[in-house]
Amino acid sequence: MAFFEQHMHAEPKTFLSKYIFSFDHKVIGKQFLWYGILFLGIGGIMALMIRWALAFPDQAFPIIGQFMFPETGGIIPPDTYAMLFTMHGTIMIFYAITPILIGAFGNFCIPLMIGARDMVFPLLNMLSFWLALASGLILVGSLFTPLGAAAGGWTSYPTLSTLIGSPGTGQTLWSLAIFILGVSSTMGAINYITTIIVLRAPGMGYFDMPLTVWGLWLTAILNAVFLPVLGAGVLLLIFDRVFGTQFFLAGAAATSGAGDPVLFQHVFWIFGHPEVYILILPAWGIVSDLLSFFARKPAFGAKATALAMTAVTVLSTLVYGHHMFTTQMSPLLTQSFMTLTMTISIPSAIFFANWLGTIWRGSIRFDSPMLFSLGVVFVFGLGGLTGLYLATVTTDLYLHDTYFVVGHFHYTMAASVLLGGFAAVYFWMPKMFGVMCNETLAKWHFWGTMLGLNGVFMGMMVVGYAGMHRRIYNPFIYEHLQRLIPINEFITWSAILMGLSQIFFVINFVHAVFFQKKKAEQNPWNVGTLEWTIPSPAPNYNFKEIPVVKCGPHEFSNPNLPAGRDFQYQTEELVKV
Amino acid sequence: MELLNAIFGRAVSFTANAPHPMAPDMSLWQRMLPPEDISEHGHLIDWLFSYTTYLNIFFFTLVCIGLFGFSYLYWYKRHPKAEYTYGNKKTHIIVATVIGIAVFFGVDLNITRISNNDFMKVFAKWPTAEEEVERVEVLAQQWMWNFRYAGKDGVFNTDDDVLTMNDLRVPIGKKVLFQVTSKDVIHSFFIPNARRKVDAIPGRITRMWVTFTKDGKWEIACAEMCGTFHYRMAAKLTTYQPEDYANWLAEAEDRALIENDPERAEMYWGWKWEY
Repeated sequence: MAFFEQHMHAEPKTFLSKYIFSFDHKVIGKQFLWYGILFLGIGGIMALMIRWALAFPDQAFPIIGQFMFPETGGIIPPDTYAMLFTMHGTIMIFYAITPILIGAFGNFCIPLMIGARDMVFPLLNMLSFWLALASGLILVGSLFTPLGAAAGGWTSYPTLSTLIGSPGTGQTLWSLAIFILGVSSTMGAINYITTIIVLRAPGMGYFDMPLTVWGLWLTAILNAVFLPVLGAGVLLLIFDRVFGTQFFLAGAAATSGAGDPVLFQHVFWIFGHPEVYILILPAWGIVSDLLSFFARKPAFGAKATALAMTAVTVLSTLVYGHHMFTTQMSPLLTQSFMTLTMTISIPSAIFFANWLGTIWRGSIRFDSPMLFSLGVVFVFGLGGLTGLYLATVTTDLYLHDTYFVVGHFHYTMAASVLLGGFAAVYFWMPKMFGVMCNETLAKWHFWGTMLGLNGVFMGMMVVGYAGMHRRIYNPFIYEHLQRLIPINEFITWSAILMGLSQIFFVINFVHAVFFQKKKAEQNPWNVGTLEWTIPSPAPNYNFKEIPVVKCGPHEFSNPNLPAGRDFQYQTEELVKV
Repeated sequence: MELLNAIFGRAVSFTANAPHPMAPDMSLWQRMLPPEDISEHGHLIDWLFSYTTYLNIFFFTLVCIGLFGFSYLYWYKRHPKAEYTYGNKKTHIIVATVIGIAVFFGVDLNITRISNNDFMKVFAKWPTAEEEVERVEVLAQQWMWNFRYAGKDGVFNTDDDVLTMNDLRVPIGKKVLFQVTSKDVIHSFFIPNARRKVDAIPGRITRMWVTFTKDGKWEIACAEMCGTFHYRMAAKLTTYQPEDYANWLAEAEDRALIENDPERAEMYWGWKWEY
């Protein structure tokens, strides 16, 4: 229901205006995609280095180790190890997953799927990418400062992250980078929210939007509300580091008055718990759609799924205290946070049931986007259920800060989101770049990734339950952890398998984008949402005529359709008898 | 294999049970179990973990039956015509609602109730001044643990206190109450064998109590990232039979009277004990 006339962009002529300083949401989406994939590679290599140190602490890192750490003969030193896991977490969350799922697919899908010619604020959109780039450069630059990058974990708890624990510039630059990225994401979020409210095509009610758009919309709302909180937190941290304030200092270190290091944890997790839903909601939305598209069946209880995701969004803001049980908050708060956390499983169970309901009695095609979507259902099932151990306070007393937590959040935030992101890449490839990916390579990619990631994250939960705590450079100086050496080696081999499988993706993606001659059809997957009513790749003005929406996004296998067709476009009147 | 060995510069093996010079010889199952429980209430945590695991296995099996079963049955070659339904029939809504309620009451509220009972009746039920408990003050710092016993006069932060570094000795069969704080950054006082940890936070005192049940030598770890040598912040834990503990403590208290230097300001890092 557009409130104003949308103009058609003139086609940009120069290379700069077309590919670099572009206002076009599709180009900005692609910029975010490359940015995210680049950082995904950097973060992934860091993950392999971390894994190598954990399994073979006394051996040189293969191939590149000799060049990176000549003074130790290729062995990763302990301070570098701390920087590695800090930067791995930061990069993967803020610079890989966020740009791919939210930056790339949020930008690309929202206007196309709601029938708009662009975002409401194209300039803000461009600015959002360039700020993200500046932030990424600052973060990468911090690796080359004299004392190295930030090394206090991606959570950067003070007082470790204040001058007491990290004297180097790296931590200041880290805080600055996160602050700027927060500004960038907030700009994006405001743009997404406004676009979805204002620019939906005529006839499109909120429940006629694809669930992908629902997921991205809810994510944008959480981003707009909670990223400023993180921004405030890291700004106070910067003040503590640069201007000598004492917001987060206490005890012997506080020279006048006293702040409180736990205050930062509150600020951080008030943002941090919604953050995991910020990352996963787009993937949920994409999966809910793709399951329906490839089962050739309307999404089961689509309205309930949308409302359940909304309920999770609201509840996610009320549960953050479960990250802080061991700081010993008052028992009343502990009880409240435990119970509130548990209520999240009601909406989660409902959309899980709906996902299974969608493929029930469908007619399933196992194309690569579908395989990845089914993979998300599997790994998110595991990730969600293992959260129960960490929500109940007594088991958390044991499991908190062990590898069990690491395994759990990788299942939810890393595995599910990555698989969802890959599903999206394979699915929207024709509309984004006008070409198809190779199916065989995509399937090898899927099975390698799936086997590898389950080996890694299941293994992490096993060693965590066996008592191995987090963020330790060499676990085996503890006698009671020496029995875990073989399992740690198994995890590392699984990680290497997962890492090598990504080569299939890189080859496939690069080949498709740059060397694939065969153009994709307009609608290769036979799907009825609005982006498939326009040519592939999408023209720079998206829709010549603003479409008028007459039915929902999941109209498949309607028995009244003429023979030979099993879907209808959202622009078509619902076929009735 | 030869190629892999060459690339990685080491002998490559893919089995979880490969012999290793440092790793003890035991079965995979034994490796996966948590460290031996040496506390009176650690079994509550182990029990809840197992119970949650059984419930999870049950529900995840249901998910897998749906996921793999439907994938098999409704492959397009086997099932060419999908059913046209929005999943908004009465039976559909009832089934989804029942699943939601079953998970919430069957799993969530169930384990929440158990955990809450354990927490309020055991772990957060702090010993009072009336009870006879063994008191220890713990000061964490980068990267070591300092322990303080009240000494002969029974008062903390006086010059007869028993001070140890990375060496905690406690009796079995009696509540041991720790008060924990930190000098510099946040640490976490983790006793894997008792299934419990508490953060050591500068500027505030946190508490933890444990009744040990088995004598022997164990390890204490720092569980919260605290800097480069976080991984080396380990302390020894020795649990004694009551009479052995009394002997050790008497000897340590005598030695403290001789060895403590009352002029050394640094030794008074303790605080007045309040329950």
